Amino acid sequence: MAAGANGEATPTAGVGPWRLALRRLRRNRIALAFLGLFVLIVAFVLAAPLWANHVAHTGPNETHTLQRITAGGEKRDVVDPEGKPIGPQWFEAGGKFFLGADSRLGRDEMVRLMYGGRTSLLVGFASALITTIVATFLGLLAGYHRGWIDPVISRSMDVLWAFPVFLLAISLGIGLAVGGLEFFGLHISGGSLWIPILIIGVVMVPYMARPLRGEVLALREKDFVEAAVAQGAGSTRIMFSEILPNLWSTIIVFFTLNIANNMLLEAGLSYLGVGVQPPNSSWGTMIATGNDLITSAPLLTILPGTMILLTVLALNVFGDGLRDALDPKSKVRFEAHAGVAATGAAGTAGVGELGR
Amino acid sequence: MRKLGSVLLVLALLTASAVGLAACGSSSSGKEGGTMTGSYASFPDYLDPGLSYTSEGWTALWDTYIPLLTYKHTSGPEGNEVIPGLAKSLPKITNGGKTYTLELRKGLKYSDGTPVKASDFPFAVERMFRINSGGSPFYTDIVGAEAFAEKKTSHISGIKAADKTGKIVIDLVKPRGTFTNELGLMFVAPLPQDTPIKNMTAEPPPATGPYAIIKSQPGRAWGYERNPVWASTNGKLMPEIPSGHVDRIDITVIRNDSTQVNETEQGKIDWMQPPPPPDLLPQVKSKYEGTQLRTESTISTYYFWMNMKRPPFDDLKVRQAVNYALDPRAMERIYAGSIAPTQQILPPDMPGYKKFTLYPHNMGKAQQLMKEANPSDRNITIWADNEPENAEATQYYQDVLNKLGFSTKLKEINADNYFSIIGNENTPDLDTGWFDWYEDYPHPNDYFQPLLSGESILPTNNSNFSQTDIPELNAKISRLGEETLGPKQEAEYAELDREFMEQAPWAPYGTRTLTTFVSSAIDLDKVIWNPTFEDDLTSFQFK
Repeated sequence: MAAGANGEATPTAGVGPWRLALRRLRRNRIALAFLGLFVLIVAFVLAAPLWANHVAHTGPNETHTLQRITAGGEKRDVVDPEGKPIGPQWFEAGGKFFLGADSRLGRDEMVRLMYGGRTSLLVGFASALITTIVATFLGLLAGYHRGWIDPVISRSMDVLWAFPVFLLAISLGIGLAVGGLEFFGLHISGGSLWIPILIIGVVMVPYMARPLRGEVLALREKDFVEAAVAQGAGSTRIMFSEILPNLWSTIIVFFTLNIANNMLLEAGLSYLGVGVQPPNSSWGTMIATGNDLITSAPLLTILPGTMILLTVLALNVFGDGLRDALDPKSKVRFEAHAGVAATGAAGTAGVGELGR
Repeated sequence: MRKLGSVLLVLALLTASAVGLAACGSSSSGKEGGTMTGSYASFPDYLDPGLSYTSEGWTALWDTYIPLLTYKHTSGPEGNEVIPGLAKSLPKITNGGKTYTLELRKGLKYSDGTPVKASDFPFAVERMFRINSGGSPFYTDIVGAEAFAEKKTSHISGIKAADKTGKIVIDLVKPRGTFTNELGLMFVAPLPQDTPIKNMTAEPPPATGPYAIIKSQPGRAWGYERNPVWASTNGKLMPEIPSGHVDRIDITVIRNDSTQVNETEQGKIDWMQPPPPPDLLPQVKSKYEGTQLRTESTISTYYFWMNMKRPPFDDLKVRQAVNYALDPRAMERIYAGSIAPTQQILPPDMPGYKKFTLYPHNMGKAQQLMKEANPSDRNITIWADNEPENAEATQYYQDVLNKLGFSTKLKEINADNYFSIIGNENTPDLDTGWFDWYEDYPHPNDYFQPLLSGESILPTNNSNFSQTDIPELNAKISRLGEETLGPKQEAEYAELDREFMEQAPWAPYGTRTLTTFVSSAIDLDKVIWNPTFEDDLTSFQFK
């Protein structure tokens, strides 16, 4: 018998691992609270077109430098003659410039914050997906085949790993900013959002591929793999039908944490001007824009910074909860908490290395 | 008695006047000596006179390396005047404007004690070509210079220098009306002939001016001390060049402009070279204008170029529509008041400037012109550098183009590489973009020849971004370029300005103002702002 968070006895016999994981996750109130926060953030950014079209009546890149608005019964400059943008108007101007203007261009800060969030989340999610797909494939190949494939992949990963992530991403960003990228006959222009997505997706691969390879190395020695070989199963089938299902829990945890990590990387790159290209907004580019007005309008930096903080915190805490729920070693801890003898084991290989 | 009374009265009045004058004198003359500290936001491009080609570098080197000719150390238009430097007098121009004869002052020395020789001038010119200086194009009209630039062997045949007499004769292949101005640039300031043929930023060559650079830590700091031979020799021989007031100047690179403002306010540094950031400028102005801060005008034009060889900007109506649509008042706000609106090529204070407004802001007219032009290609790429205000100005420009019905894509490039990228013909989609131009010297040809003449369209390092190539205007630039600047030529340059703007290769929007910001210890009234070299280090004086 195992006990729930409230100490109530819960039967575990005959319950599948996924169901068991879900049950554990549901008991982790903190992780669920942060999942709720993340869902709220996603809902907030998805509502961007609604707010822009029906409340603010402006697009994210539309400038209003010389415009005057009526707020609280008086006429106000969106940007004053000394170049200072208007501050938050809340609902005094009918929702226009709710959080003020973003810069001397007089763009609506609220609209840009919402659209910027979409960009940041898209970059974080898409690049994490690229990292996950490539790293899983390489980890499986290197760990299962070994022979010459393993050293080639592993050393290539070591070379990539040897470069500090930021420096590598900045170099690639600068290199691709002008001419863009030719990729299997597909042209991606320099200002495209796909450039930071691909850069971040690629530079993060070693951080996931290496620990996955380690897990595959351990799994390929297991009895069920030997049984599959004895039955005449080919390498591809063993990798994708026998080993991959056993990696899912690690991959899901990595994916979640990668989104948060990649969002931070995007913010850093955009702040340095090699990530999302203007006039498109992302929370990183918004911090860069706000930095220019940090003494007179600090909110312009604080707002996108806070959004990044909340999103990354939500994803990290939820990711940790997910790991606790999915990891078999967590199960040991869970059962130990329930009064069953703990056998003690290390956590999921490599998860902690993400912070490198 | 009456006589004695009158004498006593006169004596009393004289004494009172003398005391008064002495008092005035002591308060206005200020202190001599002391160490001044200053800050730059980044290290200058070079601390090598043969290489430096930025206003920051020129400010740093102007009082150190004196060319044969130089510019008057005064503020305002008077500072545009060319005066003799190491040469005894202005050049004697003969042979239909093709031969320049100068004579070196006798007894000049470098700060290490080496005598200055006439042959140091051809050495400096050849060194400049050998190290591929950006200033080389100013001197390719010297006979043999182009061949030398190509092979970099032997010598430039068009320069003859006699060490014994100090005579220097320069032969040009054709008359060049700007050559006197160009002889006043530090690219060709004489240097000792043992100066290595390489970038000497880390170990600047010995000086001829009132200050010598005594330490250089590239990327971090550099410092000056009074040139040890100035007071005894060079200063006496070149009385037109001020000797300076402070004994030592230490400059540090402080990358954060706000920190520089704080340190200047607190008196930790005495002068900040860049202007306070736009965010702080209104506050700094309100507190210190007139006492520690002064707004300075520059001879510069900020503009958007439109590539006349590619659609849609090959259509005059489209280019004119862009000019009508752009509102210079918006630019004024984007630059937080540090840009004065203008819609022409020549900036105010440049000889030949005559104000006109061909395209007063009129969005309706712009849209009407777009309707008439109806360009089939509306996909355009806009180029900008990533300096905050310039980047914002270009984003405003992008919004204007979107409102005119274009589908735009913005490419923002690091300011360090921007010029070389947009000046390379292999860069794709060079449709339109931002640029600014500060005078190299106060001559209108410095705007038309490099930026708008067909001859200046180059495969790399191109500065004619709009690809303007109008034969009749090319001929006019060429002809005027050979003539010495006078009232007649100035009127013709003013006409040329209007003729170009009728063709609208650019959408100019302003001329920049900068600032002099000093600590309370420095006498702001004494600081000289030269139109070309900006703050003059010899003019800083403690109160």
